[in-house]
Amino acid sequence: MKARTGYSTSLKQEFLKKWIKGIRIYSNFKKDMNILERKKAIKLSADLAIASTRNASTRWSRTLTANISKNETNKIFVEQIFSDSEVIKKEAPSRLMARSNRIASKKIWRRSHITQIKARKMGPYAVKARSIAKKLVKNRTKVLKSLVPGGENMDGISLIKETLDYIVSLRVQVDVMRRLASAAENSTRSL
Amino acid sequence: MSSRRSRQSTSSSRITDDQIIELVSKLQQLLPEIRDRRSNKASANKVLQETCNYIRSLHREVDDLSERLSQLLSTIDADSPEAGIIRSLIM
Repeated sequence: MKARTGYSTSLKQEFLKKWIKGIRIYSNFKKDMNILERKKAIKLSADLAIASTRNASTRWSRTLTANISKNETNKIFVEQIFSDSEVIKKEAPSRLMARSNRIASKKIWRRSHITQIKARKMGPYAVKARSIAKKLVKNRTKVLKSLVPGGENMDGISLIKETLDYIVSLRVQVDVMRRLASAAENSTRSL
Repeated sequence: MSSRRSRQSTSSSRITDDQIIELVSKLQQLLPEIRDRRSNKASANKVLQETCNYIRSLHREVDDLSERLSQLLSTIDADSPEAGIIRSLIM
């Protein structure tokens, strides 16, 4: 995964192009949409567009695309968008599951052993405080995993990297959408 | 470089503190409201909390903007004035 630091104009343009393309394909699909369907078309196209700027190189983008494609009605629409570009890869189930069980039992032994050593050095209060802090971090990490698409099976460095990339991409998405909204608002005002 | 990658994939538990500090500081730079603190468990918690709040607010914004746009772009068809704006934005 190539690190994406700030966001460039070309990235915003790429997102905008793909987003508009998606909206057009969707509206060719479904003429005369009501306001709710329009919102869905706009949001879906935006999510697909921002995911596709990653070219399936990040877990969040693959998961996002896969989740959208799971819906049968969306599937045809998604296939149309990607017909000339990337293939929709089915996100492989994480192979880390089996291995992580073995590692987990090793971790548990190590952790209890280390805790005993620490308790002798630091005293029971410090150990308790530290374990509470650890629990807090663990719970927050769980929440973060639920917010980043595909985050459930990731940990540590990978999770943070994915989060960084996801946040940068979300900001691009919001920025472009915001500009379009204010451009559209300004134009209707002057009409 | 490749050795580091294989080490990461076999045991994600053996991450160096420096790597975590570097990534967490990158996260902090992205977050709109957070002060630079020493990297201990307490501030790691705070960074995670702020990150989650930020992602949630970004999700909400995408949703609100989609709502707004669905009202503004009353017809997403080729001949409307809105389509003209969109076209000029892409060019």
